[in-house]
Amino acid sequence: MKIGFRNHPFLVNLSLLAAALLLSAAAGPVFIPPGAVSRILADQLPGIALQQDWPQAFETILLRIRLPHTALMALAGAALASSGAAYQGVFRNPLADPYLIGVASGAGLGAVIAMSIRWPAEWRGLYPIPLAAFIGAVLTIALVYSIARVGQTLPTTTLILAGVAVSSFATSLTSFLMFRSTSELRRAIGWMLGSSVLTGWEPFLAALPYAVIGMGALVISGHALNVLQYGEEQAQQLGLSAERAKALILVAASLTTATAVAFTGIIGFVGLIVPHFVRILWGGDYRRLLPLSILGGAWFLLMADLLARTLLAPQVLPVGIVTALAGAPFFLWVLRSAKGQAFW
Amino acid sequence: MDFITKELMTKIQWLAAVLVCTILLSSCNTLSPTQIVTKSATSAIGPTIAPIVIVDGLGHEITLKKTAQRILSLAPSNTEILFAIGAGDQVVGRDSFSDYPQEALALSDVGGGFGELNTEAIVSLQPDLVLAAEITPPEQILALENLGMTVFALKNPVEFEELFNNLKTVGVLTGRESEAQILSDALLSRLQVVESTISAANGHPLVFYELDVTDPNAPWTSGPGTFIDTMIRRAGGENLGSALQGFWIQVSLEELIRLDPDVIILGDYTLGGVTPEMVAQRVGWEGLKAVKEGHVYIFDDNLVSRPGPRLLDGLEAMARLLHPELFK
Amino acid sequence: MLEINSLTVNFGKFTALDKVTLDVNPGEVLAIIGPNGAGKSTLIRAASGVIPSRSGSICIGGQDMKGLSTSERARYLAVVPQARSLPPAFTVYQTILLGRTPYLGWLGQTKAQDHFLAQQSLERVELGKLAERRVSELSGGEQQRVLLARALAQGAEVLLLDEPTTHLDLHYQALLLNLIRRLVSENNLSVMMALHDLNLAGLYADRVALLVGGKIQASGSAKEVLTEKNLAGVYNMPVHVIPHPEYGTPLILPDGHGMTVSH
Repeated sequence: MKIGFRNHPFLVNLSLLAAALLLSAAAGPVFIPPGAVSRILADQLPGIALQQDWPQAFETILLRIRLPHTALMALAGAALASSGAAYQGVFRNPLADPYLIGVASGAGLGAVIAMSIRWPAEWRGLYPIPLAAFIGAVLTIALVYSIARVGQTLPTTTLILAGVAVSSFATSLTSFLMFRSTSELRRAIGWMLGSSVLTGWEPFLAALPYAVIGMGALVISGHALNVLQYGEEQAQQLGLSAERAKALILVAASLTTATAVAFTGIIGFVGLIVPHFVRILWGGDYRRLLPLSILGGAWFLLMADLLARTLLAPQVLPVGIVTALAGAPFFLWVLRSAKGQAFW
Repeated sequence: MDFITKELMTKIQWLAAVLVCTILLSSCNTLSPTQIVTKSATSAIGPTIAPIVIVDGLGHEITLKKTAQRILSLAPSNTEILFAIGAGDQVVGRDSFSDYPQEALALSDVGGGFGELNTEAIVSLQPDLVLAAEITPPEQILALENLGMTVFALKNPVEFEELFNNLKTVGVLTGRESEAQILSDALLSRLQVVESTISAANGHPLVFYELDVTDPNAPWTSGPGTFIDTMIRRAGGENLGSALQGFWIQVSLEELIRLDPDVIILGDYTLGGVTPEMVAQRVGWEGLKAVKEGHVYIFDDNLVSRPGPRLLDGLEAMARLLHPELFK
Repeated sequence: MLEINSLTVNFGKFTALDKVTLDVNPGEVLAIIGPNGAGKSTLIRAASGVIPSRSGSICIGGQDMKGLSTSERARYLAVVPQARSLPPAFTVYQTILLGRTPYLGWLGQTKAQDHFLAQQSLERVELGKLAERRVSELSGGEQQRVLLARALAQGAEVLLLDEPTTHLDLHYQALLLNLIRRLVSENNLSVMMALHDLNLAGLYADRVALLVGGKIQASGSAKEVLTEKNLAGVYNMPVHVIPHPEYGTPLILPDGHGMTVSH
């Protein structure tokens, strides 16, 4: 890797993100010529009104399907990667991912419960299924937290064990419900595999405030995470309220993850791998790791989503499959390039 | 469970309260879907003059300014209905499972199944009517409505009469009312022929309709309230599953042996390739009456599970299986 | 000045520390010795506030530590733990800079002052050349010095060290302890150090306290505490104590020859 690559992490990631956004908007199952893309986008800018020489369908596709979808995927990728980094920091475990203490299974359970009682896709401007998923995730985290808590402390091992136990329970319950409500099976599986079927800007705008608040809280917690790397006791001796910091960061990370999962289903791999990718190239200082994970997660998921949409057109692959398939060899290549340098 | 402390309960209540407030606060959705709905009085089927106003299977009132000329079918049953009433030329796209009649294969495929529908392709087709079914997830319908499309969902029939209504409804939507009526009448008379033929039957054989046998010790069948249940009854049989609960039921092999059906119909022949020979080899099944007497039959599941005109083909085929002596 | 008064720590029914009373004057090194499980680490953890105490008080320079916030407390008291499984990705300088945490906000924004003090600490422990190296690349002795520098950067008047010479060879043991002695007198620090090596305690500490089963059994000068009578009773085996040929401090020679397991 060239030295320049290493020295300008933000520039590199922002460029990759810009490229991913452009590609994502320009590509899809229906081919829209780049010229038309730029003219349609230009026409949207205030003060510019071009002669419409493109089919209305192109405009609908670009503005109501592709751009909102791109925005939502970028947001979800950023949310998952930053939460993953935060979880890895709090648990001091390179295998931690945002689903470790039950967010995914809680969200899945919430969504499937709502589907099995036939909640509609939309009700008075709200999205009941994502809402149920979000509530499910939050309740699950709260439960895990309460089980694991010992007085004022939150021992990490207990937290992981409680998380695994509650996750398994939630997953089994979800499977049982899917077994019982076979009429809603297709809908449930579609949701779980990770998809954003909903069109328009509304889902993105609904998710945006929660994701921004969550990620904002994580980004400013970089220093605290650095100190936590020495363990709760040393962190406390260094003057950081370790337990409070841990709780805060976990809550922020969990809410961020819950938001992503509520709208895009359960997409794996992003939260686990993107932080490591950033670590290998640009170090494990959390003050940089978190914002870089946000950028990296966004472009990574966008690229995976692009592949999912175009590889087997007109069939659309679930993006979770692509993240795993594409991510693994990509990461191995980066790992090799790191040449044994300690990055954890 | 000593971790469910008062402390925990208070926490959950507090949490729930916070979430309720969040729900109320986040109910600001400024951009509403652009659905074409008029507020006229609801009626099952409106007059056949434009504009067409009908309440669909989900209870939504759908308005068409004129008869649909660019239809997208999201279910194989819908495709079959459209072609059967002569509206095949008015269809511009189909889901990937629509494979009958042959002409349907030439239409644009917009995906479906567990994968997503190709929304972009759907938009390019610019349909003036999207014909959905009960299998279409509400999120898909909402997504299409948000893009300004008119989506009409047909409810799955549970009785034949409901099927005929669906035919007539699609007839109205496509301006093919007379063809739909003719077809409906023809199907009705076939139904009546079957009914009168089997009225001479002595006894109703107990039928086990096999949907899936991934686990040979617990095969799946249809319960009461499903169309398969209706069909078996109308074909002069008694559905083993009707005594159980639920739409899709797993029956234990022991229960199956105890009830000992007269006839086993292999619906899983169509997708799973299951044959009577394979059934005879299943451990524990060899003692069943149906197996010993050779009353295990393959069946084209598409004739019973697709709520379209071929249901009558299915009915006739099944009646012939159950009462061969009456259908010389 | 560190004053620990009647400190009692319980873990459930088990009393780990029983009315421990100690003090350390500025410029003084107090060594805590005792058998395994005596409570040396517990004492350090309780003194630094990471485990709660049933009763007793801890005062530094007259200020009671109870009721202080975590960051306030960290300005009075710094701990040098054993150099074990340190996060490998941080550099030496980054690690030392983290010692400034009690003075930084949640965001961790550092000022020139913080960098100055970190740099100073780095040089005091003679690691200036290794500033940009990752901690994982250092030897055990160097890592221990990094942690010492980090504690110095905290600018606290009291330093607690938890068996800093474990895992170090003779050379690095002497290096580290000499360094500590120098820093103590240069900065007028009060140092309490848990040691398992009795001879090092005798050589480098001004005073020694013998902690057995959570109680201070003896405290005073090395000569007073490190006697055959005290030690034989505590370690359940005969020992010989002879004066160091050069410094006169007590040297302990164990005599466990012929000991059996069923003792």
